[in-house]
Amino acid sequence: MNTVEKILAAKSGKSTVEPGEIVIADVDRLIMHDLSGYLTAGVFDKQPGATVKYPDRVVMVFDHHFSPPTEQQAKVLQFNRDWAHKHGIHLFDCGSGNIHHVLVRRGLVEPGMIVVGSDSHTPVHGTAGALAVALGNDSHAGTVLPYGKAWFKVPETVRIELAGTPRPGTSPRDIALWLVGQIGEGELNYASIEFTGPYVKQLGFWDRWLFPLLCVDLGAKCTFAEAAETGDPARVLRFEVGDVVPQVACPPTVGNLKAVGEVAGKPFGWAELGGHGGGRLEDIRVAAAVLRGRKVHPSVRFNIVPSSREVFAEAAQEGLVLALHEAGATWFPPSTGSNQAINMGAMAPGEAMISTHSRNFPGRNGSPEAEMYLASAATVAASAVAGVLTAEVGA
Amino acid sequence: MRFTGRCWKFGDNIPTDRLVKSQYVFEPMSEIVKHVLEDLNPAFPAEVRPGDIVVAGRHFGQSSGRAIATKALQATGIGCVVADTFARTFYRNCFEIGLPALALDGVTDAVSDGDVLTVDIATGDFRNENTGATRTGAAADPFLLQMLDAGGLIKLAAARSDLFA
Repeated sequence: MNTVEKILAAKSGKSTVEPGEIVIADVDRLIMHDLSGYLTAGVFDKQPGATVKYPDRVVMVFDHHFSPPTEQQAKVLQFNRDWAHKHGIHLFDCGSGNIHHVLVRRGLVEPGMIVVGSDSHTPVHGTAGALAVALGNDSHAGTVLPYGKAWFKVPETVRIELAGTPRPGTSPRDIALWLVGQIGEGELNYASIEFTGPYVKQLGFWDRWLFPLLCVDLGAKCTFAEAAETGDPARVLRFEVGDVVPQVACPPTVGNLKAVGEVAGKPFGWAELGGHGGGRLEDIRVAAAVLRGRKVHPSVRFNIVPSSREVFAEAAQEGLVLALHEAGATWFPPSTGSNQAINMGAMAPGEAMISTHSRNFPGRNGSPEAEMYLASAATVAASAVAGVLTAEVGA
Repeated sequence: MRFTGRCWKFGDNIPTDRLVKSQYVFEPMSEIVKHVLEDLNPAFPAEVRPGDIVVAGRHFGQSSGRAIATKALQATGIGCVVADTFARTFYRNCFEIGLPALALDGVTDAVSDGDVLTVDIATGDFRNENTGATRTGAAADPFLLQMLDAGGLIKLAAARSDLFA
């Protein structure tokens, strides 16, 4: 059996499962952020007498807010906080960091677990060998919280093998973005994707993480990036990464990939390291290296959003906080940053941002006439210096 | 499980963010429903009628897994939703909340706004009553049909304690 089949069989008490079969399996971890938690709690509370069967399996992280900007949002957080305390679930309050990074940094994901959450990037936990799937509020409120279970259709497995040595200046995020463009959004709908091959195997955890993250928009149900080769996949896709150049995902969707050179010169008023896949220590180090001896362009506001408190502490210990501050960047609290502009990152019509976020749909950041471009930390930092899109300062 | 209704046609890769924009997430559904898909067709939230059918292109409902996007579409009173392909969380949420959905690749080539369509979720049969065109989509899994019959996952779980308890 493939990895996904092994986990679903073990958790549903079966000896084998087949792609297409529907099983009801035990859930080891439910993760909710401040938006999905609020909606799930609202549905849960409508079930008379319902109780949370395994509170120790449930984690809520306030990551879209680092501090509520309105009374309405303060009430949402107050409701969530009270609900978490009432049911005895883990709560990581404002300032803890991005939901997925907090989960990893606090050691709450293990290989072989089933992890579910409403956040569509939940499949990133396949990086740690968990079967991690995005479900909706009604599954969480109706079966996961009261029974500790959820229904799953066993997906087909697609193995993606990546080989080759990237060109200098091409980062793992460029290669993950490029893959989305090569394969196409929604083209691996419902699949379990296993990332492997010599290129993937030599990457560190947080660089492997970018492949499940960005390939969510291929339509994958779940992904694994543990480089463990298992059973016979339904399909194998092989890619050579040696010729990939820095990439940028242009509006309106993550699949609208272009080489940075094709869009070079596009002006930005905003740049940001942050989001589900950004604000990693790796990203902050790269930005600090690009900005060494340079300043953020006067027309750009450059936001740095650490993905967790731990990352902020590490950046401080390495001297990166002061270096980026002095270069003109602005530090924000650990959070999901400008994702959906709940707490920050709204733009006026005609404004544009370049970021390490994982989504660029119009209307997610204020005006539907504002634009979000997605790129690597190196491209974001270089563009923050130049004031226009560029992969390399001085290029 | 048959539905006949008037078609509202939308394009490819429409994210949940355009069904429910983030500034409305915390509003009551009575307010959210006034803005569903308004950026793509301002007439839709104003003029959609009970029993109408939404037809969309590829990867409909990508982005968030939160069911609020499907609930907002359901709250417009539409009978069902058909798409060339669905994002998997959106398709799952449709059945979990009791909104019938049919995946039918090529459907957007066979319809125009305002056409009267007949859709059978259980068999996958599709007919455009204006043009006479017929197609067959992916019949819903029997488990999903059970969910629709029960009125959604939560009602199914309550009625069938053997499934999840």
